[in-house]
Amino acid sequence: MSAVADEAVQAGQNVLVNSVVKNLGGLAVRSWKKRWITTFTAPTGVGKTTAIDYLDRTLTFDHRVIQCKSITTRYELLERMALNPGEKRKKHGRNWERASDLYKRIVKSVSERPFLLIIDEADRLRPDCFEMLRDCWDDARLPLLLVGNEVLTEKINRQHERLFRRIRVRREQRPLCEADLRKVLEFMGYEMADEEFALLWKLVGGSPGFAEALLENANEIAASHGVKRGIEALEGAVRYFPTFQK
Amino acid sequence: MRETVRRALQARPELTAELYRRGMFRREEKAEFPEQNKVASLRLGPVQFATLLAQADAQFAARAVLRGVLNHEELRWLDRLLGLAKRSDKREELARAVERAMEGRKGNVRSRR
Repeated sequence: MSAVADEAVQAGQNVLVNSVVKNLGGLAVRSWKKRWITTFTAPTGVGKTTAIDYLDRTLTFDHRVIQCKSITTRYELLERMALNPGEKRKKHGRNWERASDLYKRIVKSVSERPFLLIIDEADRLRPDCFEMLRDCWDDARLPLLLVGNEVLTEKINRQHERLFRRIRVRREQRPLCEADLRKVLEFMGYEMADEEFALLWKLVGGSPGFAEALLENANEIAASHGVKRGIEALEGAVRYFPTFQK
Repeated sequence: MRETVRRALQARPELTAELYRRGMFRREEKAEFPEQNKVASLRLGPVQFATLLAQADAQFAARAVLRGVLNHEELRWLDRLLGLAKRSDKREELARAVERAMEGRKGNVRSRR
């Protein structure tokens, strides 16, 4: 496949298939086929969540995506994995479901019809959630793809030795290179002068997430002065991000 | 001086003035506000406003979210910017408050104390 076709814009998907999407997709397929536990780590703002959203829409095998934002406890994770969409956990009456009942449901359903579990922002999971996921793999060989930033690797290495030993592939994604960042930003619809891009690159490195936040702030600053965005507006936007000023 | 006002005055002046303009503060809190902090030189756009909140004291920002002074677009940006920011317990609580607000749920965040 040619490089141009590789980086083709997926019609209707509104996603630029760059190295992050390709690497994450490849890892998802590998995890699923071999029923492995794998991790994908990359710095914040590189585009992991966008890539996961895209994969969620395009993967051809059974999979579930869990965003860790609203998951704070083991029970919520169990509910999300065990219950079908729209189904509610029975918490009252004679048929109330304990956490162990939910766990058994997960093991049974994975044994009958396996799926790949993709967990975004896995670095936010609490320690008991990691242990529960390891149990799922031990009991049902649930293929797992844990996605997060550098904290994820550190957390698993330090606190979850048993899970650490079961991880077959640990993929570390580097930040985007200069050309790739420019390509992503242009795909997102930002037109920039070279000096604007040079400043952005100096500040945010290969992180389109931070770059977008800076550019949107600069757009609003320019709009409030009734002018088109320029280097001055971008420099003004930097004031809102104290970490970039250091 | 009330806690909310103290925290508001420690935030960036343009953020404080914007929150004042949007009616975040109660009558008794407004009475404690210095005159110079009530008026902003420029009105903030949704991304600017969300960025300033994401950089502000997380407890104060959470109060702004819970008092319902942000619209959905601002909440969405705040959510994204919190995802990019360095994590802390207070920021996590703020992120949960934002998620709840985006889902249209009211009330405080359930968490272990």
